[in-house]
Amino acid sequence: MSRTDVLNSLLVTRDTPVGYKLQSIKKKAVIQLMGSRLWGRFNPNHWDPVYAATTGLSAPIQTGEMSSAYLAEMCVNHFGAQMFSNARMVCKYVASTLANEVIVTHGVVREKTPKGNGFRFTVDIWSENEAGEKKTVGWVEVDVGV
Amino acid sequence: MQAETILTDALRPLSDIQIEQTREFIDSLEQGSQTYWDMVEIGDELSRDLHITPELVILYADAVEDFNPWYEAWKMNTWHIKGESPFGGAIVPPVLVSHFVLSVQFDHTKPFAIGSIHTFHDSEILAPIPVGATVRIATRATDKYEKRGRRYVRHEVNVTDVENGTHYFRETRDILSL
Repeated sequence: MSRTDVLNSLLVTRDTPVGYKLQSIKKKAVIQLMGSRLWGRFNPNHWDPVYAATTGLSAPIQTGEMSSAYLAEMCVNHFGAQMFSNARMVCKYVASTLANEVIVTHGVVREKTPKGNGFRFTVDIWSENEAGEKKTVGWVEVDVGV
Repeated sequence: MQAETILTDALRPLSDIQIEQTREFIDSLEQGSQTYWDMVEIGDELSRDLHITPELVILYADAVEDFNPWYEAWKMNTWHIKGESPFGGAIVPPVLVSHFVLSVQFDHTKPFAIGSIHTFHDSEILAPIPVGATVRIATRATDKYEKRGRRYVRHEVNVTDVENGTHYFRETRDILSL
């Protein structure tokens, strides 16, 4: 099965029910990526254990936007092009993602509101580490078949 | 000194010269930087234009290991390509521009307020951004508040196309300051 076929099989449609679970994305908080120039090098909290300790952190932490990017990847897998028009994504970083943690994203359809010829879906999204500790929580709203 | 050396390479292998360069770089970041709280006043409005080049998108996507081909207007060996997506050519990942708002929320000609942490965003992805577009990121500081002994700064953000005015993205976001 091609990548396109796999993604097409995941797409949320008008018929997708409330309670539907999105397929997870799994990533590791790799210190070299956290400290790359584009992402976190300008702020040593994101990659230097010595500086992070001076601000009270037990280890360098990922930029929140990296978690948001993981969650967005999961949503694009399920909503495709619809994720790029009139969508909304709300994220609260409730706990820090520490270097070397493995992060898993989750999503569950909470609500679908009739809109035009389709629905506006609301999906609860979150990411957590392998111990099940939540790191980022929020929701997305996406039009499907509207 | 010994303890610091051990901590610097605690999470990745580094030689003595790399450790020395790391500490020197961090010292340079700390020099002259203010807290985020002190750098921003409610009502501050700032704006900058960002050219979203194919290479910038690749840098962003590679670090979060997102290999969706829709974002590729640059490929190794071929280099610049038009790319393919449901919108025609390559497009920008949905929350890429959110990452660059940080460079507009304060006077970027001053040292960065290291130690600040992004805590919240409410983002509206209004229209797909084609790779290669130049966007205007405009921010307005709307609030400074304290909660449970911590200091936060809130901004409202709008991202538009410099050439045709398309409104691509709107956001409210909070930064925790030292």
